[in-house]
Amino acid sequence: MKRLMMAAVASALLAATAMAQPSPIRIGSTLPLTGNLAFFGQHSRWGTELAVAEANALGGVLGRQVEVDYQDNQCNPAVGVSSVTRMLSDKTEVALLDGVCSSVILAIMPVVQRAGVPLVVANGSATAIADASGVGGNKWTFKVNPSDASLVEALVGWLQQNGNADGIGFLGEDTDFGRAGMQAFEQALGRRGLKLASVDYYQQGTADFTTVLTKVRRANPKSLALYSVGADFQNLIRQYFGMGLTIPLTGRLLTDQIPPEILASGRLNGATAVQPYTAEIDLPANHAFIAAFQKMHGAPPNLLSYEAYETTRVLLDAISRSGIAQPGAIRDALQTTKLHSILGAEIEFDDHNLAHNNAVIVMVRDGKVQVVGLSKT
Amino acid sequence: MTAFRAPALGILAWLALLGVPLLTGSEYLLDTGIAIATFAVLSTGLNLIYGYTGLLSFAQVAFFGLGGYCAALLVTRLDFSFWLALPAGAVVATLAGLLIGYSSLRLSRHAFAIVSLSFALLCGIVSRDWVSLTRGSMGIPGLSLPGFDDPAQMYRLMVTAAAILLAAFYVLLSSRLGRALRAIKLNEPLAQSQGIDPLRYKLLAIGVSAAASGVMGALFVFHLSIVDPSVFDFYYTETMLIMVILGGAGSFWGVIGASVVFSIVPDLLRFSSDLRLMLYGVVLVAAMLLFPAGFGGLLQQRRLARWSTQR
Amino acid sequence: MDGIYLLQLLLNGLVIGVIYALIAMGLSLIFGLLGIVNFAHGEFYMLGAMLSFFAVTDLHFSYWTTILSVTLVASAAGLLFYHLFLSSLRQGDFERSILLTLGISMVLQNGGIFLWTVTPRIVPTPYSYAAVTFGELQIPVLRLFTLCIATAAFLALYVLLNRTLIGKAMRGLSHSRHAAAMVGIDHRRVARLAVMIGIALSGLAGATLAPVYSVQPTMGSAFVFKAFAIVIIGGLGNILGAALAAILLGIVESLIGGFLPLTLADAAGFVGMILVLLFKPEGLFGRGVRV
Repeated sequence: MKRLMMAAVASALLAATAMAQPSPIRIGSTLPLTGNLAFFGQHSRWGTELAVAEANALGGVLGRQVEVDYQDNQCNPAVGVSSVTRMLSDKTEVALLDGVCSSVILAIMPVVQRAGVPLVVANGSATAIADASGVGGNKWTFKVNPSDASLVEALVGWLQQNGNADGIGFLGEDTDFGRAGMQAFEQALGRRGLKLASVDYYQQGTADFTTVLTKVRRANPKSLALYSVGADFQNLIRQYFGMGLTIPLTGRLLTDQIPPEILASGRLNGATAVQPYTAEIDLPANHAFIAAFQKMHGAPPNLLSYEAYETTRVLLDAISRSGIAQPGAIRDALQTTKLHSILGAEIEFDDHNLAHNNAVIVMVRDGKVQVVGLSKT
Repeated sequence: MTAFRAPALGILAWLALLGVPLLTGSEYLLDTGIAIATFAVLSTGLNLIYGYTGLLSFAQVAFFGLGGYCAALLVTRLDFSFWLALPAGAVVATLAGLLIGYSSLRLSRHAFAIVSLSFALLCGIVSRDWVSLTRGSMGIPGLSLPGFDDPAQMYRLMVTAAAILLAAFYVLLSSRLGRALRAIKLNEPLAQSQGIDPLRYKLLAIGVSAAASGVMGALFVFHLSIVDPSVFDFYYTETMLIMVILGGAGSFWGVIGASVVFSIVPDLLRFSSDLRLMLYGVVLVAAMLLFPAGFGGLLQQRRLARWSTQR
Repeated sequence: MDGIYLLQLLLNGLVIGVIYALIAMGLSLIFGLLGIVNFAHGEFYMLGAMLSFFAVTDLHFSYWTTILSVTLVASAAGLLFYHLFLSSLRQGDFERSILLTLGISMVLQNGGIFLWTVTPRIVPTPYSYAAVTFGELQIPVLRLFTLCIATAAFLALYVLLNRTLIGKAMRGLSHSRHAAAMVGIDHRRVARLAVMIGIALSGLAGATLAPVYSVQPTMGSAFVFKAFAIVIIGGLGNILGAALAAILLGIVESLIGGFLPLTLADAAGFVGMILVLLFKPEGLFGRGVRV
């Protein structure tokens, strides 16, 4: 009799726990997991994973655990559209994260609008994204990372204060990223009555920069703004170094991608860069982030991991404030976001659904990268 | 009765496909349907050139992308209506096909193969580099077709277009033209001696194929709402080749069947793209070493064997 | 007109052209003797580079040891390649050869991506950042080495083709398979050697260039399509023609890039090839097997 009662109690408890276990909140994420930008997609994913793990460790959001479904878009709009369409078709995802590649993001913006699901952009850089969002445009798309225009404005402002804004030459990849960078420079310089000394583009996947670097050496600008990423950037910086060029570098220089021997040589001293993030930022929140990231993934975070982390935090915060984890409510909550970023600024969305986080300006001194300024974008 | 069977079945199939959106609201299924329709037309076009006429061509994807870019530019830059831009895109693709066909076929079919490859690569380069025209890697976004914003409508439009184009291919291939093409592939000098001008027929095959690809290209980019250089990716060529080779070069229904299978299966298996392409490579190698006639060829052999034993 | 600038561009172009020549020569050799367009040629270049990366970082081979060993491994790979795949192809199997080698290229490239990911890798050498200067002209040391190695390879090939018996057999075979068979040349033996040499040249290019560019599994495709263009411009089957066309293309690309938007330089090779096919199909330097 006693055993029967115990069994009944046990099964009742079991049933109760099963019923009390709420279903998880599902978020979709579309990234280039394979292809040329797989490295970026990987880091973006890692950033999101950290933010989600932290939230889940504290009991989840609205008492529910958060799950993310990562799908590959290969940085190809056709693949992106079809995989996102598939993801949204079973109607379980309440929100979507990024795409990394702007062309994919632009292509899926109409899809999320039709499906009525918010899309939060962490890494995509095209100015067109924010231009087409918010008032008079796509009300479901939100961009957390700052626009290139504002990043470059911050850099040029800083350079001008130090007398170095004149005679800047530009070398960038021929993509929306590079082109946006060039336009941002022209605008920022134009506002100060200055111009770019030279403009050159190279195709993504170029292995040999000898010709363009020879051209740059001949034009001899006072400094060279670089808008280059990935393997191209590595080839470029190594060949720049190998050719003995000494033109000071600036722009969106990826200081964490420079081979250590080049950095240590001291030839790059005086180089400046503006980024939405660098690991060298000396704030307790950043140190905590880096430590947690390193612990979870065994590698240091980079720009993309940070952007994804911060953006996921914004999304989770909005879900929590929405109270019911439904796409429409989440969108409304996103609009009233006021979250303290780990870079010290407040993340709020303007009427184009664009946030204005801090940008960081770094300089290479004595073979090391140092933060020299933090400014609101 | 047999003469009417294929068209009747075709029309029934088309009507059935049109009805799919009524049964399911799943945008994903419609997306897959669009992919099948597109690949079916592209592969059949390649089949026409390679399977029936014997000319290996890498330019299909170029015609596809040219149709897309043309339509996109005419609509966004010159305010054309899509219904004018679509045939314009097809015309441009056809002209391009005739140009590269005429210039290289005078030499040999080897030259055509290599020129078609270079032409496809050149299209990719131009679409990326001529930024003032095509906006380069940024692509041309915002392509919308008024009245067809609903995915179900776009699906129906593309399925109908594909049905019409495939029907046209079928008619062409069952007619004297089709037989002439096959004769050219089997033994060109012999065909010539029978009064068939190989160059004219080859150009016809290329022209028709290019036009069809151009039409699907224009529709496809408006479905995606953006056209960018990735529309010229070699990936499409590789997939088309697999479909034609596995379906059986020269087998009309085999290639269509392979198009359906290979549009669905990769998604189902959710392989990463490198694994998938590796698999395609293995299949290609195996096919070239073991069965040059493809799946359709195997079926044909079995049909022949059955016929000969029945006697 | 800045004379020094022009000279520097010419020098850069020569070095780039010589790099193209290393890859194009092997391709031309294989086409000339087997009638096969080897789509997988770029992948052997990539494998050579990846192998060098592992040789230097895991086995700690020196620069010259790496180049030597990778070239040897590449020639063995060429032997395997011939026996497993190419030996079954007949003379008229042009389309089949393209599709077969395309399939192999897809397997190798995507297999590489799967195994090693697309993360670019740097092959360190003690000479990586050194440059040699002649007055105001400058050339990085590694590229100077490339220039010397490629020239040596080319000379060796020339000697082989013109001063040895087997070389004569190769030249004979490239002119006519039937005639060669009639005089008793075993075309399989000669073809096998040609493939070994062709692939070895590709692997050598990979090993030589691994420290110059970043190494990753997709590095082969950019070069191989340009190599096709070069081989056609030079005349299919004309190895000297391929080398000269390669150098010419390198110089033309460098000059275009030096004065006009860089992106026009990319198209130069393909436009050149189409022009040659239209107006001088046997190649700029003639003597080529008509395609």
